[in-house]
Amino acid sequence: MLILQVLINGILIGGLYGCVAVGFSLVWGVSNIINLSHGIFIMLGAYITFWLFTLFHIDPFLTIPISATILFLVGYLVQKFLLNYVVGYTQQSGFGVFLSLILTFGLARVFENLMVGIWSGDWRSVTTTYSGLSLHLAGVSIPYIRIAVFGVALLSAGLLSIFLYRSRAGMAIRAITFNTVGAQIVGIELDRIYNITFALGAALAGIAGSLVSLIYSFSPFLSTPYLSWAFVIVVMGGLGSIYGAIAGGILLGIIESVASVYVGPGYQQAIGFIILVLLLVFRPQGLFGKKFLK
Amino acid sequence: MIERRKNILLFGILILVLILFPFLASNYWIRLFTGIFMYGTLAQATNILMGFSGLVPFGNVVFFGIGAYFTGIAMLSLGFPFFIALVLGASACFVFAFVVGHPVLKLKGHYFAIATMGISEAIKQIATNVKITRGGMGLNLPLVPLEVNTSYLFFYFLMFSAMILVTIAAFWISKNRIGYALRAIMSNEDGAKSIGINTLHYKVLAWAISAFFTGLAGGIFAYWYGYIDPPSVFDIGISVRFIIMILLGGAGTIVGPLLGASFIELLSETVWSQFLFIHLGVLGAIIVLVVIFMPKGFLWFYRQKFSLEALLENVRKGKL
Repeated sequence: MLILQVLINGILIGGLYGCVAVGFSLVWGVSNIINLSHGIFIMLGAYITFWLFTLFHIDPFLTIPISATILFLVGYLVQKFLLNYVVGYTQQSGFGVFLSLILTFGLARVFENLMVGIWSGDWRSVTTTYSGLSLHLAGVSIPYIRIAVFGVALLSAGLLSIFLYRSRAGMAIRAITFNTVGAQIVGIELDRIYNITFALGAALAGIAGSLVSLIYSFSPFLSTPYLSWAFVIVVMGGLGSIYGAIAGGILLGIIESVASVYVGPGYQQAIGFIILVLLLVFRPQGLFGKKFLK
Repeated sequence: MIERRKNILLFGILILVLILFPFLASNYWIRLFTGIFMYGTLAQATNILMGFSGLVPFGNVVFFGIGAYFTGIAMLSLGFPFFIALVLGASACFVFAFVVGHPVLKLKGHYFAIATMGISEAIKQIATNVKITRGGMGLNLPLVPLEVNTSYLFFYFLMFSAMILVTIAAFWISKNRIGYALRAIMSNEDGAKSIGINTLHYKVLAWAISAFFTGLAGGIFAYWYGYIDPPSVFDIGISVRFIIMILLGGAGTIVGPLLGASFIELLSETVWSQFLFIHLGVLGAIIVLVVIFMPKGFLWFYRQKFSLEALLENVRKGKL
């Protein structure tokens, strides 16, 4: 039954990985910004849940909309007042593309420092009364909380997809990805769409952060692993694809949990990165083909 | 011509000052400058690929780590003297970049940057787990058989020579076939291919040369600090730091990366000593401001004669 347990663990944690990557993938796919603050946004979401839970005793799952809203605002402001002043360079050759990447790196350090100031560098975790309970089924034990986290992760990806296909703003975002110039000709304002996209990406990071806080311990300095997961998954799933990100996340979850049992826990991450490099070289369009938000 | 002679003269004076400097300064300053030279070497080495071809090797720190570990292991397990171990370590980096470069340098832009980051992280994890590196416990290198003050001078001049060496290499490349080929790749890779430039060959060569010098700095660093472990020598933060130095100073120029390295190192030393708790945030904020106002670096600002108009013009240009 070990293999079944390992697979289920991998799938459930993979849903969370997918949620970590969705927002990152969206921003990169739409506005060509590699957001190195994504990891720190996730940590910020985790701390929002932590604060609401310890100070006001709000159930962690109910804090998810709050952290999503706060992060949406943060993301909107960051894009409007900082990133929009460099994205003009992304169309040029040379290093133009990398300016937004370096800017978000600097920004992440500012946020990191602010968070250390507010919450200190200590490790925190959110432990509810139902954290230890699990479902026992056919010799496999599954913590309820992981099932719930998996469900919320899929739900948020589903909601994003509905937004992109059913709302006017969502359709404008997709139009920009298909043809930037054409979309501007029909009256879509590029900077406003970029603001909304980045805000959405940040909101998804906030949701992922709240979910992370339920399963793992966290500290302001722990943003890098989440960022690297996001990179691996985006490359696996294809740039800007929502389902690709979720599928890639689940695949990475399975690979990591199988590797940690059968190869050794130390190699878990190494295998993820080796897959990343191999995929880039042999299948840069992602495992599931290029489907830009189609 | 006069301009050029003036520059050479200035450069000569600067080198002379830096040679005399350690005999007058305290050990604190010597150590600080050794660090500046180390980052100068790293930035210049990466500039050879990044500055001329526009490819940003985000994971170049992997060669710093390989150089450090190769030097350490060659000294400890194989008993080689330091200088031979150092050259072996740097050469290992050259070979590694040459082999890995053939598939990886076919990638463009972001994808190349991420692939190098993936390689760096994978090697870091492997170094944490295999026996020969003693894993996460780290490696203690043999002590320098010199008196304390002399060893400060030793590493000062060692790093200084590494920096001068890589600068000469970068200068030579910029005036050479490789430099012209790389610049052609930067402006239009397909165009370069169509006139018969073997683009992959030149990119791999430039990356391998840059890896050699990065490994050299890594090897010297290992002996200088005496202790290395995977999280410290494969830290992706080091890569980001020297890439920012290159952009700050001015990518593709010879003086720019060195200028950027001195600025960031001196700045972080000052910020660190003045505002201990917020130094990271202050550095981050400076990076954000520089990217917005001065995306082409200090040398550009100098050529614009420090005009504030030009800074605001940048903000307008970057805006959508």
